Amino acid sequence: MHVRKGALVLALVAVGVCAPSPASAAPVTITLCALPGTATMAGGANVPIWGFATGCANPGLPGPVLSVTVGDTVAITVTNALPAGHPLTFEAPGITFDPGPDSAPPGGTVTRTFTASAPGTYLYQSGGDAGRQAAMGLSGALIVRPATAPTDYDVEAPLVLSAVDPAFNAAPETFDMHAYRATYWLINGKSYPDTAPGITAAGGQRVLLRYLNAGYDNTTMTMLGMHGRVVARDARPVAGALDVTAETIPAGATEDAIVTVPAGAGPSPHGFPLYNRQQHLTNGPQTATGPAPATGGGPLKTTTEDHH
Amino acid sequence: MRFAAVSLLVAAGCLFVPGRAAAIPPDAPPTGMVCTPGTVAGSTHTFNLTAQTGYIDTPDGNSVFMWSYAEAGGHFQSPGPVLCVTQGQTVVVNLTDNLPEPASIVFPGQDAAVTASGGAAGLLTTEAAAGGGTVQYSFVAGSPGTYLYESGTDIAKQLEMGLYGALIIRPAAGPGYAYGTSTAFDPSREYLLLLSEIDSDLHHAVETGAAYDVNARRDRYFAVNGREFPDTIQDNGSSLLPNQPYGALVRIQPTTSTTAPALIRMINVGALNHPFHPHGNHTTQIAQDGRLLPAPVEHFGETIAAGQTLDFLLRWDDQDNWDPSTNPLPVPPPNYRDVFFKDSNTWYAGSPYLGRKGILPTGVVSQNICGEWYFPWHSHALNEFTNYDQGFGGMATLLRVDPPGGCFAAPTSATPLGSVLKSGTVTGLAADDTSYYAVNPRTTTRPSATTAAQTSITVASATGFPATNGYYVRIDNEVLRVTAGAGTATWTVQRGQLGTTAATHASGAVVSALATDLTAGFTGVPAGSQHLRVTYKGANCATTTATTCTALTTNLPQQTVKICDWTVGGAAGCSTPASPGWVTLPAPPAQPQGVGSTEVGATWTLPSAAAYLNAGQVRVLVHTERYTSPAPAAFSTWGNLLALSYDAP
Ligand SMILES: [Cu+2]
Repeated sequence: MHVRKGALVLALVAVGVCAPSPASAAPVTITLCALPGTATMAGGANVPIWGFATGCANPGLPGPVLSVTVGDTVAITVTNALPAGHPLTFEAPGITFDPGPDSAPPGGTVTRTFTASAPGTYLYQSGGDAGRQAAMGLSGALIVRPATAPTDYDVEAPLVLSAVDPAFNAAPETFDMHAYRATYWLINGKSYPDTAPGITAAGGQRVLLRYLNAGYDNTTMTMLGMHGRVVARDARPVAGALDVTAETIPAGATEDAIVTVPAGAGPSPHGFPLYNRQQHLTNGPQTATGPAPATGGGPLKTTTEDHH
Repeated sequence: MRFAAVSLLVAAGCLFVPGRAAAIPPDAPPTGMVCTPGTVAGSTHTFNLTAQTGYIDTPDGNSVFMWSYAEAGGHFQSPGPVLCVTQGQTVVVNLTDNLPEPASIVFPGQDAAVTASGGAAGLLTTEAAAGGGTVQYSFVAGSPGTYLYESGTDIAKQLEMGLYGALIIRPAAGPGYAYGTSTAFDPSREYLLLLSEIDSDLHHAVETGAAYDVNARRDRYFAVNGREFPDTIQDNGSSLLPNQPYGALVRIQPTTSTTAPALIRMINVGALNHPFHPHGNHTTQIAQDGRLLPAPVEHFGETIAAGQTLDFLLRWDDQDNWDPSTNPLPVPPPNYRDVFFKDSNTWYAGSPYLGRKGILPTGVVSQNICGEWYFPWHSHALNEFTNYDQGFGGMATLLRVDPPGGCFAAPTSATPLGSVLKSGTVTGLAADDTSYYAVNPRTTTRPSATTAAQTSITVASATGFPATNGYYVRIDNEVLRVTAGAGTATWTVQRGQLGTTAATHASGAVVSALATDLTAGFTGVPAGSQHLRVTYKGANCATTTATTCTALTTNLPQQTVKICDWTVGGAAGCSTPASPGWVTLPAPPAQPQGVGSTEVGATWTLPSAAAYLNAGQVRVLVHTERYTSPAPAAFSTWGNLLALSYDAP
């Protein structure tokens, strides 16, 4: 019984881990660029987005996973390649940045520095345009790792939760936000079935789920066939054994939970499902007599077991 | 013969008509969680469910098309049956899908493998095919706790349509524990509050086959246990709500250091997170999703998330013990002129004191039975506190705090039945205090002298003496037994009874009954009350004249407290002390009891109530007789407290 290395790497690639974490405290330089791009939704619709990328090309929904270690002196330089008229403000709730500018004008850059302290899961985002930039996709995960490698989990999975209303994305400058009505709910920018291959872990392995709610509403996720132990909220430890199946991640919040994958095939033909319990299990506008796709969509991811 | 055969078939067919009149057993208690029994064979607990269509009623008169789980061959119900199993049992759920699309059941929180047989693989689990397909799920019930079961198919539609229910796993420790031994609760006070929402437009679209947009959901009804307030406070199995069998009224009596708390099992099967907010006391959350919390947490309100379960212990300790005479409220109640009773209808008792009723303004109807208190429990998302945008309604129920020991009633009338009033009025029986309702034995006189051998005696008046033969009277120190002539003034008697000696008695001698009887009546006891409890406290004192109780410590009078069984002869059945309707209150304590000048108080509980209730009336008789040799003497019976308590419906 061991991890299927190939699949694990694939999963990590899918969430785009970059900025390798050094073994000891060190100066870490991270460059990001915020720029317009396109995301393909499940079912094939292309939706305009504004997203972060490490270079000024191919922005991601969400942005790349940033990973630093406690003690690192971190400098994040962000280039604002958004359309004219959209100054960008870089923020990461829970991180205390050193004094200095926080915004970049269109075509400009801003560098924010901090010393990584409390380990945990943080959301980074743009605070520009009163939330419109975050709604367009300018957010991502920032992981502060402890100085010594943790031993309480074997596999980790950042899970950035967000939503898309294509009508807003098509007209981010003029859309009436009172009319905002999401039709896609996403994990790491994808909805089922595009969330495949999911998380791969062997029976008995412990998976750290790092939830980040980059969306606009409080989001309740549930899992089948196992309980998760909540170990942190907003990058602060939760004391005691708090074992749950359904958890609400408030908008803007993060939560870390560790699940131990049971031996066996799981309750679903696809393994152990993790999904939005608020019934947002559809993809795109709904116009028929039944939800589409009929086979299920939305923020659903499975942990599949590796049998060896 | 052909007709006969046909009618025989019809008759036989009637015996096998599938479906029960109600979704829950007829003996289900009016409040509290009701489990669906299923069938148990060895350690296997089996439930046969269908997924089917039906309708529910809402308080505003609407009728909503639903999909739900129901017992196979049973009555449609929403939500689905409450499945209660014991830790370690193998749970088998057979699902027959009578819906027009595949359906299934998932069991969130069951970490043991759920195996499925039959059916076809779906996204989350194995599904039963539309139109009668079947699938069987089986798992070993794991950690005790509160769980839900729900559809794992076409979730955005099927959960909205109603495919959900509660799964309760009881610990091996027994039904008085929610989890381990730290979670003892009163098993007679176990409540389920299952929250859900309904967008009736979507339901109508599903019913008519119209297109709909699940992203445009706008919920109009918000339910607890499948009902919207005020339907939530109707009894379990109310005939007003044939397809919504589960009530949500929470009842408690003040808890004490020796009583266990109530258990509130909450489940949110809806799509929204609900900030549910109790009034009247905080609740102590002990668990989430079927797992104990690291430490219990007190809540004034707690948001329960979609798909979550939360368990709470509820205590209601009376910290203040307000009492109008001994501990009055520091502020006077508001003047009625400043109080508006909406619709001239109120739950208020007219008194701010628990267990007391007061006077309400003329024309105001009180729903209050005996001074109990009502507190709203509701979703604090106030748009959910409505029925189709009309408040109040929706996701709300009431906590009802009953007075300690249940409803308390003092008698409204007292009669020295066959005895003579010594002193006092009925109010002397209302409280355990220094005021009494006292009676003496009935007396008359002999207008002429009596010889020791005489067996026929004429008395001045027989009024009030028993009308049936066989009772004892006393003249001086001799006891006589009346064997004929009861009801007339001329009695045939046996002399020198009960160890006394026949003797001569002077003209004008007093003839005294050996027994006292007093009866008291209660009114206004609601039909359907349960667990009648009669409390009597009093003494028997050694003279019939003294104004304080004269010591009586030997040859104690024998006291029997009886209750009127109205099914025997109606009111006439209890019209005299010897009437056949009087039923001795059942032990414990056993009767008769010897009661002297030291007051004795006792409470008797009746197993059922119906025969003792007649248009709100209950009648009690205290019969006391003293005939022990060698020296019968007059005594008086001093009633201090006669009270009725009951669990009101
Ligand atoms: Cu309130």
